[in-house]
Amino acid sequence: MEMSATEKLEAIKELVEFMVGKNIARNREQLFEALAKRENLESTGIGDGIAIPHARTDSVDDLVLVFARSSTGIDFSSIDGKPSHIIFLIASPENKKSEYIIALAKLSRLLRKLPVREQLKNASNPQEVLNIIKNNEE
Amino acid sequence: METKEFTPLEFPRILLYIVDNTDQAIFTPAIQFCKLFKSQLFVLFVLEEHRISKLASITHENIESIKKRIEEEGWEMLYLVEDEAVESGVRTSLHMENGQVPRVVKKYLENYKINLMLVRKREETKKIFVSANVPVIGL
Repeated sequence: MEMSATEKLEAIKELVEFMVGKNIARNREQLFEALAKRENLESTGIGDGIAIPHARTDSVDDLVLVFARSSTGIDFSSIDGKPSHIIFLIASPENKKSEYIIALAKLSRLLRKLPVREQLKNASNPQEVLNIIKNNEE
Repeated sequence: METKEFTPLEFPRILLYIVDNTDQAIFTPAIQFCKLFKSQLFVLFVLEEHRISKLASITHENIESIKKRIEEEGWEMLYLVEDEAVESGVRTSLHMENGQVPRVVKKYLENYKINLMLVRKREETKKIFVSANVPVIGL
């Protein structure tokens, strides 16, 4: 999805609305609170134009990954001070901590690679995004 | 009678340097320490080229696959600390860096104005005790 928000909490709200609208998540308040709590305690902007907002919450039934882009960039208070153009939201139920940590770790490693970031910026559909992740994960 | 003014210790920024998954043992004390002193916890994992090369020569495993495994393990450790820190209401900042540990640590201590460093007591962290220009606590 292409995002219109320019500030992180506004962006999270937009992502939450998207997830609820697609029936990926149930409780928008609970999901927003879980994500916002983390954003208030740290920056999920890992630098190089990437942000990975994430939370464990029972407002989702399974591990969920949402990919979004912002051509203008969103201020996620990244460690390098740069706006985020690629956003991956990860949410998982409370009892799936292990899968959640592994997903965050794999994604963080992948996104440190410049070619992966470039491919994701240019991807034209969701299947292409999945293929980029799959091909670079092998 | 002479009275002395008591100045409480303050550590606004604490660096936790982690080496591998055995360091999980110090996550809870490190987080509790930060909670006690209302500190922000910076967590650092360093991908060391020479450590990877050394492992490759011992195991005869491909360097790239060792690098991938170590980096993923590093990220897992960082996110495990973060998950527990968030539960305790401690502010965190996660960092993955390539380079040589003493140089990277020195850069972090200066750039992020770290006041105190926490490490697990082990052979590999001895050189940090010697070279760091801030107090270091071995847990």
